[in-house]
Amino acid sequence: MQIKQSALAGTLESSDVQIMLSPAKQGIQFDLVSDVAKQFGDQIKATVLAVLAAYDIDQVTVKVVDKGALDPVIKARAITACQRALAIADQPQWEVL
Amino acid sequence: MEQVRDLFLTTPAVRRQWQTFLDDHGIHDFSEQETAGLDATLGLYDGQGQLVGTGSVAGQTIKYLAVNEDPDAPAGARFNQLVSALESHLAAAGIFHLFVVTKIQYQQSFEHVGFQTLAKTDQGLILEKGRPDINDYRQSLPKAPATTKRRAAIVMNANPFTKGHRYLIERALSQADFLYVFVVSEDVSLFTSEERLALVKAGTADLDGLAVVPGGPYMVSYLSFPAYFIADQEQAVTFQTALDISLFKDQIAQPLGINLRVVGSEPHSRTTAIYNQQMKKYLPPTVQVLEIPRLTLADGQSVVSATTVRQKIASGDLAALVDYLPSCTQAFIHQHLQTLQARLKKGSKTDAN
Amino acid sequence: MPAADERLRRTMMFVPGNNPGLIKDAGIFGADSIMFDLEDAVSLAEKDSARYLVYEALQALDFGQAELVVRINGLDTPFYENDIKAMVKAGIDVIRLPKTESAEMIRTLEDLVLTAEKEFGRPVGSTHLMAAIESAKGVVNANEIAAASERMIGIALSAEDYTTDMKTHRYPDGQELLYARNVILHAARAAGVAAFDTVFTDLDDEEGFIRETKLIHQLGYDGKSIINPRQIPLVNAVYQPSEQEILNAQNVLAAIEAAKQKGSGVIALNGQMVDRPVALRAERVMKLATANHLLDAEGNYVGE
Repeated sequence: MQIKQSALAGTLESSDVQIMLSPAKQGIQFDLVSDVAKQFGDQIKATVLAVLAAYDIDQVTVKVVDKGALDPVIKARAITACQRALAIADQPQWEVL
Repeated sequence: MEQVRDLFLTTPAVRRQWQTFLDDHGIHDFSEQETAGLDATLGLYDGQGQLVGTGSVAGQTIKYLAVNEDPDAPAGARFNQLVSALESHLAAAGIFHLFVVTKIQYQQSFEHVGFQTLAKTDQGLILEKGRPDINDYRQSLPKAPATTKRRAAIVMNANPFTKGHRYLIERALSQADFLYVFVVSEDVSLFTSEERLALVKAGTADLDGLAVVPGGPYMVSYLSFPAYFIADQEQAVTFQTALDISLFKDQIAQPLGINLRVVGSEPHSRTTAIYNQQMKKYLPPTVQVLEIPRLTLADGQSVVSATTVRQKIASGDLAALVDYLPSCTQAFIHQHLQTLQARLKKGSKTDAN
Repeated sequence: MPAADERLRRTMMFVPGNNPGLIKDAGIFGADSIMFDLEDAVSLAEKDSARYLVYEALQALDFGQAELVVRINGLDTPFYENDIKAMVKAGIDVIRLPKTESAEMIRTLEDLVLTAEKEFGRPVGSTHLMAAIESAKGVVNANEIAAASERMIGIALSAEDYTTDMKTHRYPDGQELLYARNVILHAARAAGVAAFDTVFTDLDDEEGFIRETKLIHQLGYDGKSIINPRQIPLVNAVYQPSEQEILNAQNVLAAIEAAKQKGSGVIALNGQMVDRPVALRAERVMKLATANHLLDAEGNYVGE
C-alpha cells in the first residue's frame, strides 16, 4: 500500500528519533542517519519496518534521523508517522499498538 | 526547562530582542525585503527566560538561525531542538522538503540532523532535506542519448521567450550533441513559470537534440539569496552566484555529463555580468563556458531583450514586437494582452528578469 | 470502600508526554508517583505522538515502584476519548482528569474507562482515577468530585488555572490558595482519598519551595506535585518523621502485634484504646521512615 501524504514524526532532540515518510512508487527505500548506525542500525531499521508492515505500507521512502532513541521510542514515532501519512492521525489502529 | 515559543516580530519589544540577538551572532541584514518574507519565527528560551536561540522559515527555507550553545548540555542540543521545531512547523504546513542557506560553521550541525550539502563555497553553503530532492529532480529529467559526447546547458528565465533566446539555443546546438534548456521555475516574473516553459517548448518544437525542462528549486532560484549574512550587496551577489554555480556544477552538470554552459552576453545588468564572470571562474575545466553576443535587430544596434518586450506590452505597442518574438510568443501575447497588462499594473513586473 | 490505599504519595513528578529523554529517566529519581502529561506540556500538533510515546514507554520501560499516572486531555477536547483508550490499554495505574468541575465529569470518564477495560481485556476496576481541580467551580464542588467514584484515589489542586479563574495570580506567601487548599483537603479526607498540592514553578527559589511544602505538610496534604527531580529530596525531607514519631509508631505496632498474639480484640497502649486512625497513622509513619532510610534491618533509628 502507498501512503497518502508525506509525514514527519519525532524530533532531533537527544533520546528521540525523527522519522519522515514520503510517497514512493517502488518498494521501501530506507535511509538512516545515526551516530550508532554501526551497532544499532539493523535494529532501528527492523523496528521501523515492522511498524510499516503492521500498517501494510510497502511503497514508501523512509528517512530516519536517530538521536539515540530506545526501541519503544522508535516504535512510537514510527506509529505516529504512519498514522499521519495515512491521514488517520485521529483514528488509532489499536491492534498495531 | 527550555522552551520553544512563537516569536511575533510585529511586537516591537520582541522584534528588538530578536534583532539584537542576531546582531550579536553576526547577522545584520534586517531589510524589509528580507524580513517581510518570513512566514514564522521561533525562539528558544532557557529556564531563566533568556532568548538562547532563534530560527525562521520563509517558504521552504530556514533562515535567520542562531544559537547560543548550552555549555552544560551535549553539543548541539539547542541547535537540534530549534531545527526540529522549525521542521515540525513546516511539516504542519505541509512542507516536507526544505533548504537552508547558512554559514560554513553550521555545515556539520545540519548534516548531523539529516541535511545534505548541495553546494558550498568558502563563504557559505546550501543544504537540503526531505523529498522530492535533487536526486528525484535529476531522475525526472530526460536522459541525453548515451552516444552524445558534447552536452550543453542553458539556464534562462525567458520572460517571455524571444528570438534572442531562440538564437542562443540554435548557437548552442551548433556546438553540442545534446542541449538541456533549464527554464527558471521561480514564479516572480510577468509570465508565469508554466507560461514561460510552454513558450520555450513551443518555440523550439522544430529543433532536435534538446530537452526543455523546469529548473526546479536548483537553478537561479530564490533559494540562493542569503544576502542577510553578507553586509555588502555586491559581495552578496558574488556569493550567491558562486553558490548557484557550485550547485550547477556538482549536482547537475557532473551527474548529467554536461560539459558546456552557454550564456548570452549582458552589457547592461551588473548582476548578470558578475554571474557570467563567476561562471568563467568556477566552471572550467569540467564545464566550458561559451558567451554568445546578444542578437540585435536589423539595425545592428538594439539588442533583442525581454525587458523591451515587457515595456511594449505595458504600452500596448504590439506591432513593434514582430521583430522581437517568434510567432508562438506573439500569439500568446495577443490572446492574453489584458491579463498581462493587468499583472503589470498590479505588480510593475517590467523590471524583474 | 474507595480505591485509595495508604501508599505514600509525597511527590507526583510531572513528565512531558512527548519528551523521550525525560520519560526514559523518569523512574530513577524515586518519585512516589510519575505523572505523564498529555495535556498542557504537549502542543496541539503533537497530541497523537505523545499518546503513542507514553503508550509504548508504559509497555516497555521500567519505572520502578512508582505509581504511574497519566494526565489526559480535557473532556472538551477531541483527544480525550483516544487518550483514555490508549492509557487503559497500556494498563496505567491512574488517569488524571484535568479541569474537573463536577462529579458528572468523573462519571463520564468512569463510563469510558469501563468500556475501554472491557474492550482491551483489562480487569474491570483496575484503572484508578484522580481529579485535578483548577477553577472556582471545581473547588465549590470538591466534595462531590472526591466521592464521585469507587475508582478515585485522590484530588489535586492545580493553581495556575485556578488563580487565573479567581482573577489573581500566584504570590510567594500563597494566601490566594488558602481557601482552595483547605476545601480540597477536606473533600479528600471526607471521601477517604489522597490530596495533592499544586506545583511550585520557580526552580531557583528553593527556600520558597521548602516553605510551601512545609505549609501543605502542616495542613495534612499527602504530597506535592513537582516539575523537576531536584524537588524530590526537598519534599521527602519535609515529610520525614522525627525519631520520636517513629518510636511512637513502633510502640503502636508492637501493641497491635501483642494483642494479635493474645487473640485479643482490644488493642491498648498506655491505658488508651488504639483505634483505626491511630493504627493507620503508625503504619504511614513507618512507611515514611522506611522510604527515608531512617531504620536499619532491626528497626533501629539510624537517622541524623
